Amino acid sequence: MSRIKNPNDVMVGLVLIGLSVFALVLAWPLKPGTLDAMGPGFFPRALAFLEIGFGLAIVAQGLTRVGEPFERWFPRQIFFVLASIGFFAATIDRLGAVVAIAGTVLVSCLARRETRIIEAVLVAAGMAAFVVLVFRVGLGLPLRVWPWGNVY
Amino acid sequence: MDSFVSLFHGFSIALQPANILYCLLGTLVGTLIGVLPGIGPLSAIAILLPITFYLEPTSALIMLAGIYYGAQYGGSTSAILLNLPGENSSVVTCLDGHQMARQGRAGPALAVAALASLCAGVAATFVIALFAPPISQVALMFGPAEYFSLMVLGLIAAIVLAHGSVLKALGMIVLGLLLGCVGTDVESGALRMALGLPGLFDGIGFVPLAMGLFGVGEIIRNIENDRHQSVMQTRVRDLWPSRDDFRRFWPATGRGTLIGCILGILPGGGATLGSFAAYTIEKKVSATPERFGKGAVEGVAAPEAANNAGAQTSFIPLLTLGIPSNAMMALMAGALMIHGITPGPRVITSNPDVFWGLIASMLVGNALLVIINLPLVGIWVQLLRVPYHLFYPMILVFCCIGVFTVNNSVLDVMLLMVFGFFGYLFIKWHCEPAPLLLAFVLGPLMEENLRRAMQVSYGDPAIFVTRPISAVLLLAALGCLILVLLPAFRRTREVAFQEEN
Repeated sequence: MSRIKNPNDVMVGLVLIGLSVFALVLAWPLKPGTLDAMGPGFFPRALAFLEIGFGLAIVAQGLTRVGEPFERWFPRQIFFVLASIGFFAATIDRLGAVVAIAGTVLVSCLARRETRIIEAVLVAAGMAAFVVLVFRVGLGLPLRVWPWGNVY
Repeated sequence: MDSFVSLFHGFSIALQPANILYCLLGTLVGTLIGVLPGIGPLSAIAILLPITFYLEPTSALIMLAGIYYGAQYGGSTSAILLNLPGENSSVVTCLDGHQMARQGRAGPALAVAALASLCAGVAATFVIALFAPPISQVALMFGPAEYFSLMVLGLIAAIVLAHGSVLKALGMIVLGLLLGCVGTDVESGALRMALGLPGLFDGIGFVPLAMGLFGVGEIIRNIENDRHQSVMQTRVRDLWPSRDDFRRFWPATGRGTLIGCILGILPGGGATLGSFAAYTIEKKVSATPERFGKGAVEGVAAPEAANNAGAQTSFIPLLTLGIPSNAMMALMAGALMIHGITPGPRVITSNPDVFWGLIASMLVGNALLVIINLPLVGIWVQLLRVPYHLFYPMILVFCCIGVFTVNNSVLDVMLLMVFGFFGYLFIKWHCEPAPLLLAFVLGPLMEENLRRAMQVSYGDPAIFVTRPISAVLLLAALGCLILVLLPAFRRTREVAFQEEN
């Protein structure tokens, strides 16, 4: 790895290039139009090309200019925090707010090894009650509370 | 003098009981998140944005603004008592504020911070009332070419005044512009890059994007460095500063306010920059610079005045030109647009209640903040003892439910997850995501104005340099870019942000 002086920059550059190539593929069928009558494709296409340029420049900067090494990664934290949001997305519609919220709290608590179960359960119950009271009862938003409940 | 008549009208709105309540709520929340180091005003406002949908636009803005400048007050509390900046803009307050606390003068330090913020807040309110209307008059003469150039300047200036790699910031800006393209094209009605998902036909949601990048990314980051802060056992007594303190206090506060007001108006400005600049300048003009870092009153007053003034005056470009000057103002722009108000020169005339109500509420809020902060400081210190590992699941739930209830859209929650991951990646790779959000808000406006300008000029790009205002704006943007690439300036810039680490 001696040739890469700043791995952070290289990674940012590569991600940007990847995203802009993806955008370019998506935007390709759109008509670019002409300069005096730009079509829907002009701006995205121009931006994607510009971004590929910036991405390459950032990679080049990472290869030539010394920077900080990678920070340590914590897969456990990333996974469980994102998974808790995923759990919410998967359950809120069908199983209702109580299940979704309690699950989100419990899953997110797994991100940290030291959290005690009793603490997690208390927070889960408290949050579920709070959200249902504020959003459903208080603000009257359409929100399924229990798996067998109605949205309205 | 019209401004003052209108300002009185503003007070009649800001002093309605409901609006006082929202102002109080905003400043309370602001103080809370300012005190707590784990969460900044950017993520807090992103998280609370959905709740404001159910308020009147005026109340919503009053509350959000309260959070922003309230956080400047709260940030100083934990900076002084714990040597822990609750917020970026109070980093320099740590230097002298905490020294004062260690010398047993925590009370006067807190009082100086609060009073400096109050003075600056009052002054900044009048600056907005005086300068915003004329600026919006000028802005009404802008055509599409001028607007496009102005936005280019805004985005470039945001890079110069931010820290970190210029190239990466440019990359973030273009990424933000690209994300802004997703959805239905306003002119042709064509669907762009929507992946065939109906949830994306209206574009990527502002709330999941902001909340993911700033809220979720920061949460993961904070769990990683979860360490317990020991709260300093200072008894806060004798709040009132001595006569000698006051002698040093006034000039420093005056200079800090001035610097904060100016830097707040500049594109890319805001609270943080002002506090750094004010501290540096205060140290330069002082007859006894060696006292700085050892508990100098000026070192607390000037940056606290500057960050509060900057927080408020950064509303000027948003409300007069429609250009958010930093990520925080991009969030405010989002809040306005959610309520169907397009930020721009017309806000003052078409929504005078919102504009003047907001400004007047800043005076109300600043007065409230002194009350919230000084006598109640003990309560805020207690709050610092709530362990983060019980706090973050609650924030996550608020993020999810907040995002979901905006459109009752499961896709938005999925987007929150995706953007949260990216937010975390960017933090890990030392890449500031704030310019992305700014560009995301400006993107559609920029494209619209670019297309209109090119239509007007029959496809001749020279329109951007032949129209004088546009040319000046573009030159300024170019100047900013050159400035930031000059080695001498780069060094100063690095030094200026060094104290942050």
